[in-house]
Amino acid sequence: MKDCYLGVDIGSISTKGVIIDDNNNIITKAYIWTEGNPTNAVKKLLELLKKDLPQNCQIKGIGTTGSARKLIGLMLKASVVKNEITAHAIGTLTFYPNIRTILEIGGQDSKIILIKNGIITNYAMNTLCAAGTGSFLSSQAKRLGIDVEEFGDYALKSKNPVKIAARCTVFAESDLVHKAQVGYPKEDIIAGLCKSVVLNYLNNVGKGKKISSPIIFQGGVSKNKGVVKYFKEILGADIIVDENSHLMGAIGIAVLAKKNKTGHTYSLEMKDLKFQTKAFECHRCPNTCELLKIYRNNELVDSWGSKCGKY
Amino acid sequence: MNTVGIPRSLFYYYYKDIWTDFFDSLKIKYIISPVTNKEIMDKGLKVSNSEMCLSLKNYLGHVDYLKDKCDYILVPRISNFKNNNQTCTNFWVVYDIVKNLFDVNLLHYNIDLEKGQTLKKGLYKIGKTLNKKHSQIKKAYKYAITREKKRLKKNHQISQNKLKVKKTKILIVGHPYNIYDELIGKDIIKYLIKNKIEIIYSDKFNPKITNHLSKEISKDLYFKYSKDNLGAIAYCQDHINGIIFISSFPCAPDSLANELAMRKINIPYLNLVIDDNSSFTGLETRLESFLDMLGGKLND
Repeated sequence: MKDCYLGVDIGSISTKGVIIDDNNNIITKAYIWTEGNPTNAVKKLLELLKKDLPQNCQIKGIGTTGSARKLIGLMLKASVVKNEITAHAIGTLTFYPNIRTILEIGGQDSKIILIKNGIITNYAMNTLCAAGTGSFLSSQAKRLGIDVEEFGDYALKSKNPVKIAARCTVFAESDLVHKAQVGYPKEDIIAGLCKSVVLNYLNNVGKGKKISSPIIFQGGVSKNKGVVKYFKEILGADIIVDENSHLMGAIGIAVLAKKNKTGHTYSLEMKDLKFQTKAFECHRCPNTCELLKIYRNNELVDSWGSKCGKY
Repeated sequence: MNTVGIPRSLFYYYYKDIWTDFFDSLKIKYIISPVTNKEIMDKGLKVSNSEMCLSLKNYLGHVDYLKDKCDYILVPRISNFKNNNQTCTNFWVVYDIVKNLFDVNLLHYNIDLEKGQTLKKGLYKIGKTLNKKHSQIKKAYKYAITREKKRLKKNHQISQNKLKVKKTKILIVGHPYNIYDELIGKDIIKYLIKNKIEIIYSDKFNPKITNHLSKEISKDLYFKYSKDNLGAIAYCQDHINGIIFISSFPCAPDSLANELAMRKINIPYLNLVIDDNSSFTGLETRLESFLDMLGGKLND
């Protein structure tokens, strides 16, 4: 039997899963939309992963990361539950040990991680504002009536990207509508949009940070060739985009799961698992905490959100 | 017998000990609003204007809680400490805002050192309003001030000792009314304590020392509390592992101080902006990865 490890990265927009072996080779991988329901998405993901998994493999560790990491961690009984920043750094360092800067733009958040000698020295994440992230791009793609996957190709066609306000999505959107109504060609608008994502990122997340080469660009948006092009242009440096750039978080957490072996063998049979959450408000004190109770096969496994620790 | 209400927000965190010592010595009854809970915060959000910062909204919630539980509410106006040491405009106007919003008796004094209005004059004024004799007030003031000086010295000493501890040390920078507030900063502090971090607070240093040191970061600072905060950073920088800057949304002085600090210092730095609907999940991701980074333990 061959030992292998599952890493699941459940983001707001997409859910990513990989299974790696002891030498960090990817055995299977899957990428699906979360569609607002992380538990269902993970069930689907496991089915996809299982299909391609050779018979002689057994799962010896499971790790979860991403914004739904705690919930899915409980559901899969994961051995490691870690934030996405650490997971991304570890995943990247596994394949690119010399990397200095990680740029990451995901569905709802964007981050920058600075690394020196294999240790994170600084990072930043977008704060209150989700401007210039993947969800902004998909909503604009819908408005322009094209698939977000085609965005990059359109952007590369443009010779004259229009200027779009880069500070705030709301302004960017009204700028965009205006430019479209005035009659600018689609590819110029799309190229302008890609450029504004880069400027927005560098203004909001990358501010005050020293970006040194080698630089790697990850997250769903890294699949967009237009954004990559403008990153190269504006930073004046080469940008590495790995073919698995969108899976780096999942790989990182799988590597962590490998390092935290418990000896336990995990099953991927989740189809019949009943996993429920119940939300209610506690009125025992003026704080009125919003509580979430989590049931696994009708058994209460955890509850979150209480300030006093009563639940 | 008159009862004075003290809202547990903004000024409270700067003057609580002086006030309570002063009132104790004069045998004046006072009540302090409870630690912030959801109900108080919601009340504050309801009565306030959308442009106010979260901390000011919170303050108004506390005033609302006290409004029918006491005879006076203590609302000073703190305007400046001379030599380019302004306070935030909220500290100037909060008296007027409270006066407009609530039908209550206010106990009030000004601190405006440019016009010679000192804390001493302020407390004397309060003593007089509450019908205390001059000699009594003098004694009470002296009592409160000597104790405050001792406390300041002690806090500074404790912070200095903490800098020598051999654990992972994080400097928490921010206004005390945010750091210590139950709904704004407490969760962050609790999380750090749970992870066995030695916490050093920026406000637990002697401002006379830190205020001056802020020049190392910038010479053009305008706000007193920004100077104190950045001075504390300059003071600790070489002895700590990381800095967490907590501010409330949308704090104007902090937006400036934060940008300055971010660019001028060379150690790991995390900025957390708290607004009224932040859930702890987002904060936890940032804190967890920040601690991972400080530990450098990527490969465990």
